[in-house]
Amino acid sequence: MKVTASQSGDAVIAAVSGRVDSVNATSFEQELSKAMEGGSSRLVVDCGELSYISSAGLRILLLAFKKTRAQGGGVALCQVQDHVREVLEVSGFTRIMTVRDTVEQAIESF
Amino acid sequence: MDVTLGIDVGTDQHEPRRVVEVFERFATANGVSDVVVQRFCLALDEILTNVISYGFEGIRGEPRVRVDFGLGDDLLVIRIEDNGSSFNPLADAPLPDFTLPVDERPIGGLGIHLAKNLVHDISYRREKNRNCLTLTQPL
Repeated sequence: MKVTASQSGDAVIAAVSGRVDSVNATSFEQELSKAMEGGSSRLVVDCGELSYISSAGLRILLLAFKKTRAQGGGVALCQVQDHVREVLEVSGFTRIMTVRDTVEQAIESF
Repeated sequence: MDVTLGIDVGTDQHEPRRVVEVFERFATANGVSDVVVQRFCLALDEILTNVISYGFEGIRGEPRVRVDFGLGDDLLVIRIEDNGSSFNPLADAPLPDFTLPVDERPIGGLGIHLAKNLVHDISYRREKNRNCLTLTQPL
């Protein structure tokens, strides 16, 4: 798992690659926190290279979602692969989080 | 079952990932579709993570966890056995409440829900002081 962070306007884009499971969920949480250190409350998670996420990773996304929402922002996901999308749907995440096809659309969703 | 593979699983937190990787190689090499492989990988990961994290709290004796994969022409079966405390995830795990507002949603509790919903059939039995979960998928 690797997180590469960048900034676009007042949104932070965190590109996640590889797999997120119970072994590295804590690292995932730390990487997302680090990406948000600048004080932004708008987080785009680019899932283009995310091949796998288990409930341990979903838990971190939900934490980030709650935190950013409390600050008036939110989390938008984009470029989600089919398998990961199914996991998001079954877990009810697509009902609460914005999911867009591209990074640009995700940024515009805020 | 035409092809079978069994693995003894330790209680280290890295074990679910190892078992998932073994299963992925086994299933892919035997022609199981990517969609089914991905769903079973997640279910296996969630169930084993649960067993290893909570199944042996306060239990004396050597923990034993065993996973068996079986593949026939038209059926994929995974059997997960452990000698931890009695726990039927199908009945004892709380269901996530999707009607709750976001801020009130509990963090966690999704693993078993995912496993139940991504696998065609899961059954549980308690036999000889072991939890036995069987995951089946028609192919």
